[in-house]
Parts: sequence; structure tokens; C-alpha cells
Amino acid sequence: MAMKFDRPLYSLSSKAENDNAKALWEAESLGGMTEDNNRTPVPVVLLVILTVITAFLMTFPLWGQRPTAAIYAEYVKSMNSPEIMAMTDDTAAMAKIVQMNLGKQQPSKWNYDGLRERHPVTMDDMRMIKRQIEALMAKGVDLEDYTVVGNKVVFANFEGNFRADGTRERKQPWWDKGYTIDIFYLTAFFLGVTIVVKCLPSYKWQPKHNHDHSYESDHHL
Amino acid sequence: MAFREYKIGARMFAVCLGGSMIITLLFPSITVAKSTSSDVALDKSFYAGHESGFSLEDPFLLGWNKPLKVTLKVDPKTQQPMEQKTVYVYQPGTSFPASIIHPRIFGKGIEELSLQQGRVGEAKRESGAVFGFAKGAFEGQEYSYVENLTATKGWAPADVMRVAKDEDVLHAGAGKTMFVREGCWWCHTMLPEETQDWQVFGAPPMLGDFNAESPTAFGSDRKGPDLLHVGSRNSSREWMMLHFFNPRLVQPHSIMPRFDYLWGEKDANGQKIDFDKWRAEYIEYRDGKRVNPPEVPAYGKDSEIRYLIDWIMSLK
Amino acid sequence: MLKYLFAKNEDIPAGSSALFFGFSAIVWFVIGTGLGSFNAAKLAFPDFVTGNEFFAFGHMRQVHVMAVIFGWISLAFAMAMMYITPALGNTKLWSEKLGLWNCMLWNVGLTLALTLLWAGVSSGREYSDFPWPIDLYIAFCIFIPLGVNVWMTVINRRTQGIYTTNWFFAAATFLVIIVFLVGNAPEFFHLTGLTEAYLTWWFAHNVLGLWITPVAAAIAYYTIPKITGNPLYSHRIGHLHFWSIVVFYSTPAAHHLMSAPLPEWLKSFASVEGVLILVPAIAFVSNILLTMQGKWHMFVENLETRFTITGILMAIPLNMQGGFQQTRAINWYVHATGWMVAHAHLALLGFSTFLEVAAVYFGMQTILKRKLYSLALGNIHFWLLLIGFTTYWVSMTIAGLIQGAGKIYEVPYIDVVIVEHPYMIARWLGGTMVFTGNVLWLYNMWMTAREGTVIPEGRMAHELAYER
Repeated sequence: MAMKFDRPLYSLSSKAENDNAKALWEAESLGGMTEDNNRTPVPVVLLVILTVITAFLMTFPLWGQRPTAAIYAEYVKSMNSPEIMAMTDDTAAMAKIVQMNLGKQQPSKWNYDGLRERHPVTMDDMRMIKRQIEALMAKGVDLEDYTVVGNKVVFANFEGNFRADGTRERKQPWWDKGYTIDIFYLTAFFLGVTIVVKCLPSYKWQPKHNHDHSYESDHHL
Repeated sequence: MAFREYKIGARMFAVCLGGSMIITLLFPSITVAKSTSSDVALDKSFYAGHESGFSLEDPFLLGWNKPLKVTLKVDPKTQQPMEQKTVYVYQPGTSFPASIIHPRIFGKGIEELSLQQGRVGEAKRESGAVFGFAKGAFEGQEYSYVENLTATKGWAPADVMRVAKDEDVLHAGAGKTMFVREGCWWCHTMLPEETQDWQVFGAPPMLGDFNAESPTAFGSDRKGPDLLHVGSRNSSREWMMLHFFNPRLVQPHSIMPRFDYLWGEKDANGQKIDFDKWRAEYIEYRDGKRVNPPEVPAYGKDSEIRYLIDWIMSLK
Repeated sequence: MLKYLFAKNEDIPAGSSALFFGFSAIVWFVIGTGLGSFNAAKLAFPDFVTGNEFFAFGHMRQVHVMAVIFGWISLAFAMAMMYITPALGNTKLWSEKLGLWNCMLWNVGLTLALTLLWAGVSSGREYSDFPWPIDLYIAFCIFIPLGVNVWMTVINRRTQGIYTTNWFFAAATFLVIIVFLVGNAPEFFHLTGLTEAYLTWWFAHNVLGLWITPVAAAIAYYTIPKITGNPLYSHRIGHLHFWSIVVFYSTPAAHHLMSAPLPEWLKSFASVEGVLILVPAIAFVSNILLTMQGKWHMFVENLETRFTITGILMAIPLNMQGGFQQTRAINWYVHATGWMVAHAHLALLGFSTFLEVAAVYFGMQTILKRKLYSLALGNIHFWLLLIGFTTYWVSMTIAGLIQGAGKIYEVPYIDVVIVEHPYMIARWLGGTMVFTGNVLWLYNMWMTAREGTVIPEGRMAHELAYER
């Protein structure tokens, strides 16, 4: 692309402004790229770093996800105990079940107490999912592969680690595909940004707007 | 003097945008394409037909080109009573659902069963078809699959409509078009939240519940209750009729608009509906000058409100 | 306008297309906010104009949304591009004639599209409601001609480099075409099921993220340095803003469907990216606010600066909401409630509209070479917009939080409707104030064109005293 000299300078500005701009812009070779390159303020950099950290911390926990069927397995067992069967008041029975299972050690890495607190159920809900959970327990599958969606217990949408028999775990793995893509994606972006910033002239460098200087400053490109 | 040409920038731009589109469009579409239609999806896509929003076959969203959902109690061939069966009648010329045109939308298993045993590949749009569901097994896994009853049992659309009584016919496909056209989805979502929300509005939908449905019209701005399972909560046609004519008749605090214009010109008996008189009497009732509200006219069997209520009733 | 459509390009005065785009934008703004106010009245008083298909809420709601997005906001963008792109390239617009045709096709097409939409001819897909022939029209008769004009002006520029604003203009005019063609693929190719649902929101997310947000920001990159006379604080931060828009803003579409049965990995991915929308926001807001150094008095004294900086300040709560409300931890509470309606208005009526209003005020005075007719009316416009919007936003946010509480405490829905009633009235009052302000603006701009004080060559409008 070359400068077109066959046309007068067109713009919405006045002639004086145009002459001024012409003198300013057409004489320097970096096209304004180095103009006003103030240092990126440290707080801005810190805010960006904080954002990246927050993004993962904020989204990683299972908050707001559908409850896994495993957290209700113990509840189902408790429902069959004579103590609960004898109770006629649903609300009291549910409170009793919750209390019976509080603090019980779980085989999983997840803290079921917290998950149960986030996904409270009533006796009616339990009755709807009880059969399904019992059927799954009888099959001997890992209940963490299943989520409770309304009155149904269904296969979770996660694609997790492969088991020895070639099937896939259906629980959020530590390397959740979404987060893994995120890590690579962010790394690529910030690497790119850093390389570009390092290629730019130092923020202290000020362009000089005269014809002689253009030759000299070319090596900055 | 040379202009800066931004070659690196332009290439980086292509890389960034391409990368973004690969991750956000290509990857998920692979996952979603692997899903298998659930029974819910089969029912929805077969009663709704090809498209519920704008299409060239129904440009003004009047409910043209839509199938009928029929509960059969009599065998169309032998005229003998039979076990109740739900079939989907596509009159000659009616567009088929996307899953009949591209059976891979069904998902593996259902696709094979529907093509081999259901003979859906033989369905022709020009002559119409009657579809129903059957159970079968593929590679040890049980599926519901689609059966082209016109091919397997010789039931032509006309045969089915001859034996079907009007109350057994649901214009649910046309009703969903009314739902889209009237903008019901601006206030009513079709997506109970995954957390506590479902305890009031019923189970949220699952992967495979939407195959071949278009548009899904989830809605995003709730000003009224979620409707995904409304037919299970309230299955009274009478209530729906009053509520659509003027929601304030059955729910004084409702902010829903009146849909009395969906009754059309005439009521069920062919009498012209006098809307002005009705509204005047309703205002008297509202102002306490009348004890009872005016009678809501019964809707005609081909009125748009019938389509809409038919659809609402099928939201189980 | 008609006499220029068939004139030779050389005979059309510079700035004509920007002028027509500008007036069209204001007219659509009046129409769009008028419809908004009418719709809000129907939510507050459901028996207000009732029993008629054409005045039913469900028929008018989307007309309001589309009139504002593709009428007001996009036309104001086109107006800004028609005068800012050449000004920054130190050249003339590539083709004023194309610009005028573009403006004419835009107005005719949008009128037709909205009439059809009003009648219920809809694809049933939120934000991409237009049926597919209209989508093709918008892509080929509205956005491609606009893009060609912007791109050719940038290519024929007479400066070496391209200023920040023009990177954004060039990128966004390209991106919006891609978004239109890809996002409407479900209609063109009849894609169904979750793919349709996901692409609907891919479109909705990207038309906001790759069209409205970057162009509004680009406008501020021009108006603030131009009006205050301060050079942009840092081109480096501008780079960070530009690239993080392309990289981060284009990815989190799935966060609109956190409760839909999409693959969970996609939601995890989108959720992180959703928080990272804060990166371009931080870059943009800090860059503009740092540019204001030493000129903060203009925030008080100058109408355009006041509009722009108010818009920029609103970008802070906007992005804090936008970044965090989509995470799984928060989304289930606020999703599909009035909170989202408030957030959408913070983005479109708060942040972006305030920046565009400034660009239209500034551009119209520059092109007409006339000073604003009445500063008093301008100030009233500002305060009606700000107070009206704030009333709207506060009332809808509260209503949304009530709705969220109703959702988890299993309150019968009708009780939520009853409790929301006062907020619906407040919403209507707020919307009506915005509408009133815009009517005054249209009058003020019309009078500016006819009777505004003539600006002498080489001066800027805000440097002059009112002389009438």
C-alpha cells in the first residue's frame, strides 16, 4: 500500500487542522503506535491477575451444580431403619435423617455434609428417588456418576477419567475438560500478550515528528 | 514512506477467532451430536413437526403444515377396538420432523431400529404418514424407536382420521406455533432451574430431550411460572379456557394479557362472539355492579385457542 | 436524502450519510423507548389496551428489543463510523453514496422486519427472532455494505497506523457479519435441538460481545481524547482491550444456558471465560479514566464528556454483574429473573447508549457545523436518561432478587407477581422518563440543524458560547 498523492487531503476537519495533522502523522514512521505509550499501571496488571485467579476459584467448586445421587445414598439407608419407619411426621423424619447422617465419614473426596446442606430434600423428594437409588446400589455402580434431576436419577453429563474396564467416570474430574481447555487458552493468550508487549518499544521511547527521524526509528518495527 | 500493513495482527486475529470458534462451536457440537433422543424428545418432535417458528410452509405462523397427535382406540384397518395407542398423523404434504429427514439426529440405536424395524426411510411426504413409537433392543440396550405405521401396518393418514374422534385429536403442533407467535415465551420459561426451582416447576430437561425440536424457545425472562410441566400441574381445559380469555377471571392478581382474540369470530356453536358486550359486562363485574362475570364463550374446534390449549395439555 | 441517492459520489457533501444515520438513529431511539414504555405500562396495568393482537405484550416486547438494538444502537454505531473512521484516517469516507444507500436500505428493511415481527412472524429464537430471509437481508443489505464502507475507508486512509477506534470498527463490522451468518445457521440449515438452543445464545452473546460492546468502547476511544484534547492514556492497554475482547468475549456463550442440559465441561469452560470478560473491561475503563487526567472539570461542564464518562462508570457495575452472575454459584438464583432484565438495560441503555448519545451529539454538531440549539434541553435529556434508567435498574434489580427468593423458597408464583407490582410501576415510570428525554432530544437536534449557532472553521462546538 502506498501513499496516494493524486488526491487532496479529504477530511471533515478544517484546513489548519489538516495541515497540522499532516505534519504530525506523515512524518513519523511508526504510525502513531508509540504515541502516548504510558506505562500500564501496576494496579491494572494486578486487577487482571486477580481476575484470572478469581475466575477459577469462583467457578471450580460444585456450587450450583446438580446434586450427585451419592449424597442421598445414606439417606435412603436411613429411611429403611425402623426408627424412621415408625415416625409419622415427614418433617420430623427428614430432620432426623439429616441429623443421623451428619458428619459421617464418606469414601469420596467431596464433603457430603456441605453438598447435602446445599441440596436439601423433603421426605416426598426422597420417596421419589428412593427406588431409583436402591436399584443403582443393587447394581453396584458408583453413585457419584449419577445426578438427581428433579424426581429422576440420571447419568451425569460429565466426561471423566477412564476406568480399568474402559467405561468412563461420570463425575467432574480434577482435570475437567472445560477447565483444561481454559488453562491452555489463557496461557496462550497471556503468553501472546507478553511477547507483543516486549516487542513494543519501551514506554519511555518518544517518537520525534520530523522527516529526518523516520529512517532511524525504523528498526523498532 | 510505507503504510503499516497489520499483517501479523490480521493473522493473529484469524487465529484467535478461529480458535474461539473451534472451542465454542465445533467441540460442543460433537458432544451434542452424540446424544440419543429421549422419549420426551421423540414425543415433542413428532407432535410439533418440522418447524414451529417461521418457515416457508407456514410464513405467518397460523399452524399450517403441522401434524396431529391422535389417541387411537379403534384399529383404523379393521375398525375393531384395540389397546389405546398414540400416533402422529402427517397428512399428505406435511413436512416431516428433522429426525425423519436426517435419522442420525435420533442418536445411535434409535436410528438403526427406526430404519430397520420402523421403516421410517419409506415415509413419503407427498402421501403422508402415520408414526408411532415402539420398544426395541439394539446391542443389548433398550430404546424407544419410531415406527412408520403407514409402512408397517398400512395405516394411511386418512384411515386414522376416519376413526379418530375429535376429542382424541390434539393440535399440539399448531399450538406450539401459537406459543411462538403470541410470544408466550417472553414471560414463561420452558426450563426449570437445576437447583431448588424444580420442586415447584418439575424436573429440568435432560440431554437428549430436545433432539429434532425447533425452536426450543427456552425463554430467559420469567414473569410468570415455568411451563415445561404445566400440563401435569393443571390439566383442566375449563380452567385454561377461562384463564386465556381473561386471566383475571380465575386469578385476580395475574398480569397476563387476555388472549380472547384467539377465539376468532365464532364460538363452538357457530354464533358470532360479541367481544364488546363481553368486555362491557366484565367491566361492570370488575367494578362490583354485577355479581357474576359474563359467560366465557366455548371455543370452536378449529380455533387457535383450541390449538394452544391442546399444546398446553401435552406439556406433561 | 433522495436527491443524493442517485447523485455522483463527488457531489455528495462529506458527512451526509453520517447525518442521515444520526437522525434515523434518534428517530428509532424514540420509537424503541416509546415501545418500551408502552410494554412496561402493560406489565404494570395488564388491562391497559387489551384484547387486541397488535397491542399484546407478546407481540410488542421483541419489537422494542429489536428496534433498540438494530435501530437505535446499530444506527448510532453506523453514524459514528461514517464520521469517525474518515476523520481518524485523515481522509474522506470511501463512498458517501454507499453510506446513503446503506442508510436507506437499513431503515426500509428494519421497518419491514419489525412490522413482520410485530405481526408474530418470528423464528422463536431470542435476539435472532427475525425469520431467516430478514437475517439474510440484514447481513447482505445492512452489515456488509456498512463493513465495506468502513474497511475501504480504513484501507484508503492517509495515516500510517490505524488508531485504536478504527481497529475496533474494522474488526466489529467484520465480526457482526460472521455472527449473523453463523448464529442464524439453525434457521438457514434447519439445525435443531440443543444445537439450535446453543447457537441462539451464541448469537445473542456475540452480537452483544463482538458488536455492541467493542463499538461502544471504540466510540469512547475517539470522543474522550477528541473532546478533552488529552491524548489516549495508553495504546498498550488499548491492545490488551482489543485482543481480550476477541479472545475472551467470543467464548462464554454457554453461560446463558447454565441450567440447560449442555455438556458440563462446556459450562465450566464458559464460566471461567465469563469471569475473564472483566479483563477487557478493566483495560477499557482504566484507559479512559486515565485519559481524563487533568480534564475532570469537563465531566461537569461538557455535555458529551458527561454522557461518555457516565456510560464508562456504568461499565464498572455492568461488568462486575456480567462476570459473576453467570457462575454456577450465583446464576441459579438470578437466572430468568428481573435481575437479568436490569442487567441487560445496564448494558444497552446504561453503558452503551450513553456513549453513543455522546458520539451522536458531538458528530451532529461537527457535521452540521452548528452548535447545539439548547444546552438546557441537552441537560434535561441527560438527567431524564440517567434518572429514568436508574429508576428502572434499581426497581428491576430489587424485583429480580425477590423473584430469586421466591424461586428457592417455593413461593406460589402469583405471590411473586403481587409483590413485584410496585416495581413494575417504577419500571414504567423510569422507561417513560427515558422516552420523554428522547423526544426532547429529537426536537433539540432538529432545531440544531435549523437554528444552531454556526461554528466557524477550525473551532470545536464546545469551545463556543451560545450566541442566539
